[in-house]
Amino acid sequence: MIGRLRIAVLFAVSLTIVLGTDAGAADVEAGRKKAAPCAACHGPDGNATIPGTPSLAGQPVYFTHWQLIKFRDGRRKDPQMSPFAQNLSDTDMADLAAYYEAQQPRPRPPASTDPAKVATGKQLADLHHCSSCHRPGFTGQQQAARLAGQDSDYLLKLLRGFKAKTASDLDGTMTVAAQPLSDEDIQSLVQYLATLGP
Amino acid sequence: MRRIILASLAVAVAVGLALVPLAPAQQAAPPPWKQGQPPSMADSTLAPVAQPPAPTPAGEIPVDKIKVPPGFKASLWAHGINNARVMTWGDKGTLFVSSRVAGNVYAVLDKGSEREVKTIAKGLNLPNGIAFKDGTLYIAEVSRITKMVGIEDKLDNPPTMEVVYDTLPRDLPHGWKYLAFGPDGKLYFNIGAPCNICIPPDTHANISRVNPDGTGFEYVARGVRNSVGFDWHPQTKLLFFTTHARDWMGDDSPSDRLDTAPRKGLNFGFPYCHQGDLLDPEFGKGRTCADYVQPLLKTGPHVAGNGVQFYTGAMFPAEYQNRMFLAQRGSWNRTQKSGYRVMMVTLGSGPVVSKYEVFAEGWLQGDKIWGRPVYTQQMKDGSLLVADDYAGAIYRITYQK
Repeated sequence: MIGRLRIAVLFAVSLTIVLGTDAGAADVEAGRKKAAPCAACHGPDGNATIPGTPSLAGQPVYFTHWQLIKFRDGRRKDPQMSPFAQNLSDTDMADLAAYYEAQQPRPRPPASTDPAKVATGKQLADLHHCSSCHRPGFTGQQQAARLAGQDSDYLLKLLRGFKAKTASDLDGTMTVAAQPLSDEDIQSLVQYLATLGP
Repeated sequence: MRRIILASLAVAVAVGLALVPLAPAQQAAPPPWKQGQPPSMADSTLAPVAQPPAPTPAGEIPVDKIKVPPGFKASLWAHGINNARVMTWGDKGTLFVSSRVAGNVYAVLDKGSEREVKTIAKGLNLPNGIAFKDGTLYIAEVSRITKMVGIEDKLDNPPTMEVVYDTLPRDLPHGWKYLAFGPDGKLYFNIGAPCNICIPPDTHANISRVNPDGTGFEYVARGVRNSVGFDWHPQTKLLFFTTHARDWMGDDSPSDRLDTAPRKGLNFGFPYCHQGDLLDPEFGKGRTCADYVQPLLKTGPHVAGNGVQFYTGAMFPAEYQNRMFLAQRGSWNRTQKSGYRVMMVTLGSGPVVSKYEVFAEGWLQGDKIWGRPVYTQQMKDGSLLVADDYAGAIYRITYQK
C-alpha cells in the first residue's frame, strides 16, 4: 500500500517536472550569432578557459536568462558583464540562453586538487542538500545553475559572495544555504564540484 | 477514498519516523522550500514552480481558456509585464504593477485599444507590495518601505525612493510583502514566518501597520504564517486576509485560510495549530486549537491564496456587490495541482461565509499550467483586472447582460 502510494506520487511528480520546464519561443541559431561577442571570455561554444570566468555550455535556459536580467537591472554587478547586458533585449537574452543550453559542456579540472578536500566536499554537498535544487550530478535545472565541472575560481568567488550576502540570488535560497559554511567548507565544496564530470 | 489515502499517509509517516535513523546532529538545514519535509517524504520530487525569466508573448497566451460565468468575458488587457503581481491605481489613471523576483515596478498606461508599459523602478529586493495615496506611490521590499512622491507626473524620470520605514527583518523566505492602506489611513503589511514551519522569532508571522510617515509601528495580527493579500469590507471596514498554510503535511492538509481580524492582537495559530483544527505534528504538542482564532473559511490545501478584493463596481450584476474575489496562484506541494483560479466568496449577515465558488478558472489544464492568477484590481467601469505573474499578463473580465 505504501509502496504503491509512493510510486503514484513519484510518477505524478516526474510529470510535473517535465511539464514545468517549458521555455518561450527562443532561437538557438539567432543565439549563436548573438553570442559572438561573448566568445572571447566564455569560449565560442560556451566552454570558457579563463580562470574566474564561468562556462555557460549546458546551463539551464532559466539560469542564464535570469542572470542576464540581473546584470541588466543591477542586482548582479561585474565590470565586463554589466555594460554588456545593458544593450540586451528580452529576446536577445532568451536566444543566448537557448544557445548556451544546447552546447555540450566540457570539464575544467582545477590546476591542483586535494583528494581529502574533494572527499570532504562530497560530504558537505550531501549535508547541505545541494542536489535538492542543483539535481543529483549537479547538472542544474530551471533557475538553479549547472555546477559539475564549473571553474573553481568562479565557484569560490560566488560562494564567498553568498556567504558575505553580497552576491544576489533570485529568492534568497543560496544566501541562506551559504551561511553555515566556513571558508574551508567552501574550498572543499568547490574542489568537489569542479572535479565532477559535466 | 480520501480517508484511506489520509490513513495510509499517516501510516507512511509513522513507519518513516520509526525506520529512518535520526539525521546526524550536524545535518544542515535544507533549502527553505524543503524545510519541514518529513523523512517519509524524502523521495518526493515536488518542488516550487520555477518563475519564467520572460513574459509569454501575447500570441501564445491562450486567453480563450479562461472560463468565467455566463454573461462574463475574459480578454487579454496587457502583456509583456515580467512577473506582474499587485496592481494599484494612481489618481490620474496610471495602473501601477509590482513584481516579485523580477525586481521591477511598472506603470501601465491605458491607451484605449492597447496599453503602454514603463518600468519605473528595477533591481529591487522582491518589491511585491505597492500602495498609492495622495499622489504618492509606496513600495514595500523585504526590509523597507519607500515612497515616490508625485510619481504620476514623472513616469519617464521617476523621483528618488524616499525611505518611510526601513527597520524590518531582512529574512528572504516569506520576506516579500503585501502593502495596503487601511480605512484608518495606516499602511498594513505582513511579516512572514522565515521558514516553512518553525517557531518564528517574536518579530515574525504577523500582519503589522505603520503610519505613512513611518511612526507608530504595531502588530495587528499574530500567528499568521504568511498573508500576502488583504482588504477591508466596504461597509463594516473589517480586515479580511488570506494565509498560505505550511507544506509537507500531505496533499490534503492543512488548508489555506481566509480570516477576519475584528480587533488587533488576535492569534491565528501558526505554528501550533493549522486550519483552526489541526495541531502541528511537531510544534502542536501540548497545545490546543481552542486557544487560537478559527478560520472564517478553509480555502483548500496548497491553493496559495494571494489577492483579496471586495467588489464595489457597477458593471457586474447587483448580487456581486461586496462579494470577495480571492486569487489563488496555485499549488506546488501537492501531487494533483490545485488553485490556479479566482474564487468568489459571498458573506452572510455578519462575517460568515454563505457561498464559496469558482469565478474564473482555466490557467490549469489537466496537470499543465500556462498562467498563475495572483491579484485582482477593479477598474473604474467595474470590470475586473487579474494579474498573472507566470505569463506576465493582465486580463480584464467584463460583464454584459
